[in-house]
Amino acid sequence: MSTLNALITLVVFPGGLAILLTGMIYEWVDRKLVARLQNRMGPRWYQPLADTVKLLAKEEVLPNGVHAQMFYALPVIALAGALTATLYVPVFGLRPAYSFNGDLIVTVYLLSVLTLCMGLAGANTLNRYALIGATRTLTQLFSYEAPFLLALLGPALVAGSWQIGEIADYAERHWLILTQPVGFLVAIIGLMGKLELPPFDAPEAETEIVAGALTEYSGRGLALFRLGKGVELVIGLTLVAAFYLGGVANPLLFFAKTLLLLAGMAAMQTLLTRLRIDQTVGLWWRYGALLVLAQYLAVIVWQGVMA
Amino acid sequence: MLKAAARLLQRWTQATVTPEPERLDVTLDAADLVPAVAALQEARWGYLAAITGVDLGPEAGEIELLYHFCAGAAVVTLRVRTPRNQAFVPSICDSVPSASFYERELMEMLGVTVANTPNTDRLFLPDDWPQEVYPLRKDFRLEDAPLPGSDT
Amino acid sequence: MTAEREPFRIPIGPQHPSLKEPGHFEFSVDGEIVTQASLRLGYVHRGIEKGAEQRSWVQALYLLERVCGICSHVHATAYCLGVEKLAGVEAPPRAQAIRSLVAELERIHSHLLWLGVAAHEAGFDMLFMHSWRDRETVMNLLEGITGNRVNYSANLLGGVKCDIDQRLADAIRAGLDYLEERTQHYLDVVLNDALFLRRTRGIGVMSREDAERLGVVGPTARASGVARDVRVDAPYAAYRTLPVQIVTEMAGDLQARFIVRVRELFETYRLIRTLLDTLPEGELTVRIPRRIPPGEAISRVEAPRGELFYYLKSNGSDQPERIKIRTPTLPNFASVLVLTVGRQLADVPMILAGIDPCFSCNDRMVAIHDTGEGRDRRWTWEQLRQHGIEVYR
Repeated sequence: MSTLNALITLVVFPGGLAILLTGMIYEWVDRKLVARLQNRMGPRWYQPLADTVKLLAKEEVLPNGVHAQMFYALPVIALAGALTATLYVPVFGLRPAYSFNGDLIVTVYLLSVLTLCMGLAGANTLNRYALIGATRTLTQLFSYEAPFLLALLGPALVAGSWQIGEIADYAERHWLILTQPVGFLVAIIGLMGKLELPPFDAPEAETEIVAGALTEYSGRGLALFRLGKGVELVIGLTLVAAFYLGGVANPLLFFAKTLLLLAGMAAMQTLLTRLRIDQTVGLWWRYGALLVLAQYLAVIVWQGVMA
Repeated sequence: MLKAAARLLQRWTQATVTPEPERLDVTLDAADLVPAVAALQEARWGYLAAITGVDLGPEAGEIELLYHFCAGAAVVTLRVRTPRNQAFVPSICDSVPSASFYERELMEMLGVTVANTPNTDRLFLPDDWPQEVYPLRKDFRLEDAPLPGSDT
Repeated sequence: MTAEREPFRIPIGPQHPSLKEPGHFEFSVDGEIVTQASLRLGYVHRGIEKGAEQRSWVQALYLLERVCGICSHVHATAYCLGVEKLAGVEAPPRAQAIRSLVAELERIHSHLLWLGVAAHEAGFDMLFMHSWRDRETVMNLLEGITGNRVNYSANLLGGVKCDIDQRLADAIRAGLDYLEERTQHYLDVVLNDALFLRRTRGIGVMSREDAERLGVVGPTARASGVARDVRVDAPYAAYRTLPVQIVTEMAGDLQARFIVRVRELFETYRLIRTLLDTLPEGELTVRIPRRIPPGEAISRVEAPRGELFYYLKSNGSDQPERIKIRTPTLPNFASVLVLTVGRQLADVPMILAGIDPCFSCNDRMVAIHDTGEGRDRRWTWEQLRQHGIEVYR
């Protein structure tokens, strides 16, 4: 029985299919909102699903000069990493499917697997655009990762736990956006960097390097990468909502808060101009990391004073 | 403006015409082209607007090259003639770097050899265009052009 | 890996998302820094200069109008003015005013289009979408006047073929009011949007000396403080009685190119309103001989992108002897090759877009080929024409 339960958790709900579908729906919401803000019609609701089905059905072209096993394995690893992360996160307002002390660190690590795989996928091909894209992807990874992690550790510090479930319980009683506004901002902007959304889309800036690291991907590989991104979008939003916006205790709260965050992200995507990669790095290390570190210290001092 | 230009170019001038009020046509020897252009540039007289190559036809046996310089309303044209079968002019890229495009065009379109021009690659014509076929010459026939995509 | 010292080359083009038309740039990069740039054109070369020599003076007008899809009217205007000069006739005042009017409307259309493209290169799609929506207004006006959205065919040798009546004038004024309000908003964005400024301010700087040395024209030159505008320097058509105020900026960077073009829009709105208020009465055309007297003419007009230069030579027959077209993009390309060296790769599309390049303008050959039956055929103009007649009969 417990095996069946675990299987359902992994494959159907809340992991697996359910999160894949949610990822697609969120991707659609994002695209539609951006389109409407830009005075366009935007895609219909089933567009991401149609894209995925189409890509899965297409032949995957193996370019010359790549390491074939790696070329096929990277998208799978990327998606697997993102799906595994789902299990430790309170998606759909449920308690995390699995939980152990320190799962926050593992989740953040799993979320980076996707980016790493994309970087490797770009570096694996001979395509010049992909190579430049891979360099940029990895450069960007190193710039937002530390501030993003620090922004998620802020709530962990006040909750006194490294376990996502416990931090979320604590956050339900305290709206941390009020006490740690910098952390919230860094987390949401870090999430945009992670997902390579505008204005942090230099790694896939189509006007310079076509599709960046994924230029040579087609068919199944591309579909898996895209699904991975959708999943990461949902997980990232869940984490930020659970930690900073007063928790996601039930499905209603979950959808309301994550979609609200998504709307905010869509607005930022339309309002801001793409940053050059050097500007992105400068922004994160000069402002993002320092500010969040300052807040981090302030929290520690505050706790010391209170204790 | 035109008087200043006429004075600058006096040393090399063979003949001048003023076809319109604001225009001055100066006929030069091809060998004098480089110092004449350099004189205009040093005096900061206008900018190179274009280089026109005109094939005067097989009977005349010559190609005429027109170097148009503009300054405000004034247009000075330097006229240089070169034999058709051995078309040859010196490059003016030393004093006017932007002339490179026009000189590349002269080489491929009219078969004028431009000595010492920095870049001799084709600008407009395809890579598989045959040598010695120059589309802007008057005796160019469409049959001489390669078939597009015939080798693929 | 091949030889280690080999520079890493990034081709941009012939097919590339940042180029709306085909051209082949090759940039050598060291990391993200460009070390060398070269250019290859001709992917849309249609041999229009040669083609014009094989047509009558009247047919050539319609061919030349197709040099460029965006600034078609200025090509026709430059050609008509040149031919009229050769023939010794002058178009009536009303025709001259309408020529200028359409040219200014075309400038609005071209500048708004550029604003959107340049914003897209910077990854600022919001501005792209909005400016292109507003561009529809002016496209509709042009359609109202001439019947076409592009390639308006407003010009004839010796005049124009479309008139402006009261209803059209009102429509144009209403359209201008809307556009003026929107342009104010764009100026605000160009001047004040903090993130956008990070992509434009201090990027691709061209000093006044460089601008003069490279012979750049149009807004690109004016953004570097070179007050060069044919409408002012050598007025033609209605500009002879209509003073134009030159908009210049001193900074010479991308932001200056944005500001110059957006400010020019306001000047254009003023010019159009004045033209409408002072539209002279009278004929639209004069007769022009079929055979043009022998001679040479140089005709220069200010296209949206800068000075357009035409050289016309007639041998006294009903066909041109030689037509040379020098479009504004060609001298401006030279500046791109110089400007990009030493800059970030990410700035390249912006610098490229900053001059408002128009590849079709530069490439001018009819190489019509039909691969339908698995074999190539070359058609002469006559055969092609016959084919066209048969297909559409």
